[in-house]
Amino acid sequence: MNDKARVSIPVPTAATMVASYARRRLLEQVRSVAFVIIYLVVFQTVILGVPPANATSIAGGIGMVVFGLAFFLEGLLLGIMPLGERVGVQLPGRGGILVIVLCGVLVGAGATFAEPAIAALRIAGENVKAWEAPLLYMLLERSPESLISAIGMGVGGAVALGMVRFYYGLSIKPFVLTIVPVLLILSVAWAMDSGLAAIVGLAWDSGAVTTGPVTVPLVLALGIGVSRAAGKSEGPSGGFGVIMLASALPILAVLVLGAIVRPAAPEPTTEERFFSSEHREEALLLFDSEKDLLRHAFRRGSEAGRRAYFDDEAAYLEAVESLGEDPGARRALLGEMPLSRWVAQRASDGERERMPRVLRAEEPDETLAAPPAPVPRVLAEESALAVQAIVPLTALLALVLVFYLRDRPRYVDEVVLGIALALVGMTLLTAGLRLGLEPLGDEVGRQLPRVFRGTEEDAERIVIEDFDEELVFESIGADGERRRHFYLRHEGQVEPVRFDPERFREHERVYEHVVRRPALFGPDLTALGVVLVFVFAFGLGYGSTLAEPALNAHGRTVEEVTVGTIKRKSVVRAVSIGVGIGIVVGVARILYDISTVWLLIPPYVALIPVTLLSDEDFAGIAWDSGGVTTGPVTVPLVLAMGLGIGGEVDVVHGFGVLAMASVYPILSVSIFGLIVRARQRRTMREAEREDDDG
Amino acid sequence: MAEHLRERRAVSRITCMVNRRLSPRITQRLGQLGVHTVFIETGRSVREVHTRRRFRLPGRVVRIEDSPVEVFRFTVPREAAERVMHALIVAAELDAPGHGTIYAQDLMEFSRAAPPALAAQNGPSSVEGGSEEAASGGVSEKAPVSDSEPAGGGERPRLRSRVSQVRRTRARTPTLLRDLTALTCILSMPESGEQISKIALELGTCVPIVTLGIGTGIRDRLGLLRITVPQDKEVVHLLVPSYDAVGITRLLIEEGRLNRPGRGFLYHTPVRAALIDTRLRVGRHGHAASMEQIIAAVDELKAGTAWRKRFPGLELEDADATHQLRRENREITVICSEGGAERLVSAAMEAGAGGATTARVRRVKATDAEGGIAARERSTIAVAADVCERVVGALLDVERGGAPCADRVQVLEAPAAFSHRS
Repeated sequence: MNDKARVSIPVPTAATMVASYARRRLLEQVRSVAFVIIYLVVFQTVILGVPPANATSIAGGIGMVVFGLAFFLEGLLLGIMPLGERVGVQLPGRGGILVIVLCGVLVGAGATFAEPAIAALRIAGENVKAWEAPLLYMLLERSPESLISAIGMGVGGAVALGMVRFYYGLSIKPFVLTIVPVLLILSVAWAMDSGLAAIVGLAWDSGAVTTGPVTVPLVLALGIGVSRAAGKSEGPSGGFGVIMLASALPILAVLVLGAIVRPAAPEPTTEERFFSSEHREEALLLFDSEKDLLRHAFRRGSEAGRRAYFDDEAAYLEAVESLGEDPGARRALLGEMPLSRWVAQRASDGERERMPRVLRAEEPDETLAAPPAPVPRVLAEESALAVQAIVPLTALLALVLVFYLRDRPRYVDEVVLGIALALVGMTLLTAGLRLGLEPLGDEVGRQLPRVFRGTEEDAERIVIEDFDEELVFESIGADGERRRHFYLRHEGQVEPVRFDPERFREHERVYEHVVRRPALFGPDLTALGVVLVFVFAFGLGYGSTLAEPALNAHGRTVEEVTVGTIKRKSVVRAVSIGVGIGIVVGVARILYDISTVWLLIPPYVALIPVTLLSDEDFAGIAWDSGGVTTGPVTVPLVLAMGLGIGGEVDVVHGFGVLAMASVYPILSVSIFGLIVRARQRRTMREAEREDDDG
Repeated sequence: MAEHLRERRAVSRITCMVNRRLSPRITQRLGQLGVHTVFIETGRSVREVHTRRRFRLPGRVVRIEDSPVEVFRFTVPREAAERVMHALIVAAELDAPGHGTIYAQDLMEFSRAAPPALAAQNGPSSVEGGSEEAASGGVSEKAPVSDSEPAGGGERPRLRSRVSQVRRTRARTPTLLRDLTALTCILSMPESGEQISKIALELGTCVPIVTLGIGTGIRDRLGLLRITVPQDKEVVHLLVPSYDAVGITRLLIEEGRLNRPGRGFLYHTPVRAALIDTRLRVGRHGHAASMEQIIAAVDELKAGTAWRKRFPGLELEDADATHQLRRENREITVICSEGGAERLVSAAMEAGAGGATTARVRRVKATDAEGGIAARERSTIAVAADVCERVVGALLDVERGGAPCADRVQVLEAPAAFSHRS
């Protein structure tokens, strides 16, 4: 359109138009995040009875999430998806199948390196202990680049394979029916092997998290473009299914990588043996130096491991004491881990006694409410990640479009604006999540074990200086039993406290009072607590998925290509229900320490007949739904909860929850598809019936 | 100048809107008939569903339900149009309510290749599937069932369906209806397609078909500010009796509030012959025959729809006075490879067109003359008759990569059109 024809809009009218447009977009996002926020706050305050800490920071973060989602989604719809689709439409016309394959590999592999899922995987594996799962530790900590490369190859191969499928109009069903059984068989075989068992969860989670919020819409748009240009697929929904491949092939790649790397990793063993000097050579396969090994003993091991590391008692005691006295030694032994957290989580009672008194007194505050990171620093870090995730991929596609395909987007200015909005949106979204939603999720996740724990726990330690034993008085019960108490004035309240002589250090005149928090439902009601955890897990999965930007983009695409016969809201709801169920199963895995593979087999086996029964359109849409669920909103919240529970029940790692959150949406959307098809067929069936009657 | 697009041909455009389950039958039958270039658009049909209330409570619940449809469009020589329609009616059993709608419109087409000369090449027997049909001028009583089933369609008909089909084709030959008008409503507001569809369903005219499009016009002149104006359009296609077209238009304008800015517009185009889907409602009914069956029977008996007239005394001239319907318009349809519509529409607007609605379609049965990718764009432009020649000329002149940008341009009369500015 030439500039002569341009209509000039007065500034006040333009401002009104922009304001109305922004209001619509923001309200959409307020609605999408409202559920999960209200849910978390209500659960924390009403059920757990703990008010949110850092409320201002959390509220500000949530505001950023809303703006971030609105900007990011608009950026996807204006810039990234039209660009991907345009490239996809033009590729089959100008380039042959080889060019399409090459482009697919570059986009897929580039997406993995641009949006490295390894960060989420590392969080899930932050409790991995080198002696229990040496191969898992090796892949996550020792050679993460080989893990990223394997995932990148998987995603690259998947996108290329997806494009080939669209080019030739092949059905998704044969791919599902071959790849899924292979994955299941390999997973079972790996689960039987003590060395490989631990990486099954990692492999399936890799498949789940690898498809990020930029990759999914971009690949989806590219596939739809190729499919439409090739014109081989029947029906409107050609273009779906590539996300499924991008989730499945990385699983295969990680399983194969595990088998290749296994000979280089030591066998799982006990903690004492792992850290002992006889085992040192094998243990050092996982660490650069003995110093790193010792740091691992302190950061993730127990007293037994630390004692085993040192040949003599004196050296061990010296190392423990150096933690409290020497900041240099502390850094060498604990790295970034605060000493207070080490004391709270890793130190034995004996080791704790050797720590300075002040430190012990401060520990609850430091562990329970970490100060929020400064906003400018968070924004700077997140904007760098957003640039890394968005710019290389879009630049690659733009270069292909302009220089190879000799075409340009319909509205160049809109695409540029869209990419800028996506950058701003992603920065605000991820920064808002870090400042707002994640701390809220962390708090609830940490508190959550209380609802199923049968015993009381240490909640707070109060150090009473200048304690005078004369304040202690005796009480007597009906059975004549005598007990000693004193009155404590704390936060304006005076309460009687039972005197424990072991907590009184007479020579320092210090009494350490430990506030015990009772179990939420008492020792006999843990089953109810477990049910409550499941309810919470379902709501968290459901609510966080509603806000996922990639899922919203997926839903809009489905609605558009089906001309509204399948509504966006229905797809989003079906996926969210699936994620909710998946997370419940994932939490059950952690609570009861069930092997991931045994929980993955039933839904995937069920999916095979369901997929066979499904229409081609819905098979692609459903299998893609598995990949779009695990995005920037869901993953941190779910991991926080998984780790909170995992830490309580002492499982090796938090893997598996995300894999469950991927498989159940496939099932729920497939079932939704069957219901929709049955409803649509009714029209024709009734017509045939009436015709026969007539 | 793209001279080889300049030849003007009088053809019929057949539009066949069928439930997606029946699409393979249509595709296969068109292949057998020698129709090589077909453009398919995805859409949805809208019906009322009547169900009982839950827990056996008295009364009924009425809701709207969508089904996926595919809209096949292709051109054939005018003399072959009705025979091709009959062949497709048999193939997809379109005379059964709920299966779909088919209609033909006579228009002028500019294209690189002439439409397939079906009658000359294949003879009547190959079009209609048997020499007996040629004698009767309709559908064969022995229309082979296998012809109407796709080889790879994946849908094996049940015995009952076969029996019913044989019984139906023996019992009657579907009569094509005349005196119909195609009403095309292009709507801007989200979900307004459903609102207009509801009105059409309440009027009992036909099953509305909704497709999607992207609007180009004033929005493109706003610069980046255009992102604040939704570009998605819903296009509702209705077939209504010509006698009632004006009355229904008036109702749609009032109920759909099309007389307000930014809501959308509508126009009429003439229909030569049609068989319409009368399955407006799905659900239980307590009579020996449904209302749709009765309407279809009376249509057939009366050989038309004039008996349905419900707005007596309201003719086009009357409506002109109240709603300022624009007279003497043309609907110009231009089809091109995806990515080309922008230039074409821009050229059309410079030549005097107000805007266009562009839909994505896919082309099947590619021929060498129109090679390249299957993704196509179909832009529909409604213009006043006096600027039509100029706009068509501008469209034919647009080139892309040294070749004409448009695959084909079709021009059709549009006797009445309405927008809030008219």
